[in-house]
Amino acid sequence: MTTTTESPEKRTMPTAVRSVLVFLLIYGFLVGVSLLESGIKVMGQDTQESLFQGVSNPIAGLFVGILGTVLVQSSSASTSVIVGLVGTGALGVDAAVPMIMGANIGTTVTNTLVSLGSMRQSEEFKRAFAAATVHDFFNVIAVSILLPVELITGWLSSAAEAISDELVGTAGSEWKSPIKRWVKEPVGWVQDIYEDIGLEMNALGTIMVITGLVVVLLALTFITKNMKQLVADRVERSLNAVLGSGGGTVAMLLGLIITVSVQSSSITTSIMIPLAAAGVVSLRNIYPVTLGANVGTTITALLAALAASKPEALTVGLVHTIFNVTGILLLYPITRIREIPVRLAQGLAEIAVTRQALAVTYVVTVFLIVPLAGVAIFR
Amino acid sequence: MVMSFFRRSEGGFEAITAHTVSMLADARHSFDMASTALLSGATHASVAEDVYTTDDRINQTEQELRRELVVHVSVQGTDDIGAVLAYTLLIKKIERIGDQAKNMLDLADEGVDLGSESDTDELIALRRTISVMMGEAADILSDPTNEDEVAAYRQKADALRFSLETQIRECMHSEKPGSEVVPRAILYRYWKRIVANLAGVVISATEPIHREIDPDDLDD
Repeated sequence: MTTTTESPEKRTMPTAVRSVLVFLLIYGFLVGVSLLESGIKVMGQDTQESLFQGVSNPIAGLFVGILGTVLVQSSSASTSVIVGLVGTGALGVDAAVPMIMGANIGTTVTNTLVSLGSMRQSEEFKRAFAAATVHDFFNVIAVSILLPVELITGWLSSAAEAISDELVGTAGSEWKSPIKRWVKEPVGWVQDIYEDIGLEMNALGTIMVITGLVVVLLALTFITKNMKQLVADRVERSLNAVLGSGGGTVAMLLGLIITVSVQSSSITTSIMIPLAAAGVVSLRNIYPVTLGANVGTTITALLAALAASKPEALTVGLVHTIFNVTGILLLYPITRIREIPVRLAQGLAEIAVTRQALAVTYVVTVFLIVPLAGVAIFR
Repeated sequence: MVMSFFRRSEGGFEAITAHTVSMLADARHSFDMASTALLSGATHASVAEDVYTTDDRINQTEQELRRELVVHVSVQGTDDIGAVLAYTLLIKKIERIGDQAKNMLDLADEGVDLGSESDTDELIALRRTISVMMGEAADILSDPTNEDEVAAYRQKADALRFSLETQIRECMHSEKPGSEVVPRAILYRYWKRIVANLAGVVISATEPIHREIDPDDLDD
């Protein structure tokens, strides 16, 4: 065996080609959302009603949102699907709002799982686990406050509806989205192919929904992957700039920009975990980055709403944004309130570091057992 | 700070390399200033502040670079892991060059002045060679692909280290008074360590990790 000092050259796609690819993937994502919508519409009215009967209870909807997001490890994907379903008219805004909130909680599972990777080093694990769970606690507290408020007053959906009315028209009307026109052709081709092989009604609708889901998930996965490649150097540079001297609002803005760029809050929050574990960033500096990521990730649902044919889809996308912004306004500006998720995360990390099995139990319980039990009880 | 995301500038490993090169430039500056106090008649007081401030900057840059390397791995994954490991080592070596420059300055503080001795010109020439080697090491860091340049550098560093080792041995066996040979032996020792660290910087940058290849591939 011989050794050499040469390192293999990296094969990288030219930026221009990758940018075109990302645009094509975004187009594919919008086609996927439209396929989903068309598939549901093809199904009969009875099937549509029975499909979403189980989530008419808001608590069940919340847990479905958590479970769905945990399953696909992406709130961008789950909220886009929810927006697509609202676009069909089969899922109402009222039922979709708790699901969107659930998606916000479910998305935190990814960075919590990443933090478990540091388990062998106690101190590193403590910092990593606290950095991951501060996101969990923030989202759970925000949902605990804003879901009851929404159920009682309908404030979030009313505010989103008001904005949506201004932008695309009133609820119940048909919105002539330009994006919808661009994606109409490929959706028609897919439908024709399935019809040619003899599928109709529920079978046709089901296969179109499945195709739509696969296209949405694949497109989002590759958008995220390629965007990460495109902006990795920028992310690195800005993280260094902010970590060196910034905090608070600046860190929040950075979290937002990175997440909008890569279309994934999980990427943003997961990047922060090794930094927390290494002690490069403190928990209090990571916290605002994750909050920025919460807001940034809502861009995907808004994008998905562009391919929907009902203004309600945009309303739900806006609910996601308003919910996260309101959460920040409620829980971040006042120091004593801001400290609550931080202290809870630190407390949990202290326990987790001494009894590591509890950390795993926490993840399984919060992200699987409780939502499954919740769906079983409340549906 | 956030706007740095939108600016067109170096990012990724290029930024880390540029930062490391600036650290090496600081180490060279410290070395040159400390040498001035020993060989060119400048007083300790006149250069001390500059050397100590530069050393603080070198230490700070070392910390910043460590953080940047962690951020790089977190953001980019393990693609550059060999280079990251190499840089973790080589920034320590540059930091040591800064410390050795400070040690040289301490000699001047002890009253050593080699500015008007019979071998002053020889010492100044040696100092210049080492200083130039710092610039060459920076060039290699910026572009480590020129194998001939790297090989020549390593040869030059080995030869210089051997020459400095010989000088140290000569001092050890010299019958000249201690006040004459001891400062020289110490200075040669510092220079030898500096050259060794420079060679280490170049080796780490150009051989981050040995890649095993199948002998069959060598035939192609």
